Amino acid sequence: MLKRFFSAVSRTVSAVLLVAASAGAVADVRIEQAWLRAVPPVSPSMAGYFVLVNDTDEPVVLTGARAEFAGMAMLHDTSTDGEGRRSMSHLKEVTIPAGESLAFTPGGRHLMLMKMDPVPEAGETPKVCLAFQNHADLCGAFQVRHNEP
Amino acid sequence: MNNKDGFTSAFLFRILVAGAALLLVACSEPAKELPVNTRLGGDFTLTDHNGERFSLSSLNGEVVILFFGYTHCPDICPAVLARVSQVYRNLKEQGEADRVQPVFVTFDPERDTAEHLREYLPWFKADIIGLTGDVPAIQKVAEQYGVVFIKEDGDSGEADFTHSDYIYLLDQQGRVRKVYPADFNIDEVVADVKTLL
Ligand SMILES: [Cu+2]
Repeated sequence: MLKRFFSAVSRTVSAVLLVAASAGAVADVRIEQAWLRAVPPVSPSMAGYFVLVNDTDEPVVLTGARAEFAGMAMLHDTSTDGEGRRSMSHLKEVTIPAGESLAFTPGGRHLMLMKMDPVPEAGETPKVCLAFQNHADLCGAFQVRHNEP
Repeated sequence: MNNKDGFTSAFLFRILVAGAALLLVACSEPAKELPVNTRLGGDFTLTDHNGERFSLSSLNGEVVILFFGYTHCPDICPAVLARVSQVYRNLKEQGEADRVQPVFVTFDPERDTAEHLREYLPWFKADIIGLTGDVPAIQKVAEQYGVVFIKEDGDSGEADFTHSDYIYLLDQQGRVRKVYPADFNIDEVVADVKTLL
């Protein structure tokens, strides 16, 4: 009785492991840890962050972004000089080498959404899509939140 | 500093470099009496979010958390606003916020009018006073506090500002007692505020 129970458990565990292993083995490009910083509804813009994982054998070139609720979406970089001054610049393209990942984090690279209608609220998970030079668009649910996950 | 998975080490490194001087100052203090910063600060008069003339000295008797930014800035400014607001709300929960006042000064009076600040700031639920004014007046305040801002034409066709983003803790006489980097520790500021109440 106990033996049968354990063998059932072990079969289940193996099956789960197998599924997990095969899911991990699929070579792909994916968006992880995607979120948007919650801002007041009268805000003209909001920033988004994510990690882009390139599990393929080829470099991918990220070129832009779009979202239905935003009239304009861009990739930006924030740089800080030696005196603590920050400035933003437009990232026209970013290459993620094969097998690597690239993080967009507060105070650094970020997704910049403008001309929003409506401005998504904390708790919502609007869809944002990333565009590439050599890969199909990737879309993901970006969680709107007040603080970094 | 609570480290999070989302942070890359590169980002942390950058923050460390940018804030190194400040962090050193912060670390070398045994959190007793905060020294008075005699190089920075001073009274000023601007226009508040209700369109009224507003002097910093009218807040004498209150501890002020002073910070700069602009509402069209999407990345760091809302993060700083959110964190300052969190400091205020934590103090409020502890019943210590009666004589604490967050004050936000915009670099961008063209777009951050009193009316816009009045619509924008209440969302943060921290009773923040928003200050705007004409460019020379704001420039002068920035100089007093060692804040640098440079207006630039952004790629989106909208103006951006290159700017420093420190946060200033002022005592009840309006003197600068501590300066924090944008990624300040919320508990540290809460504790520092209490030493000045
Ligand atoms: Cu930006």
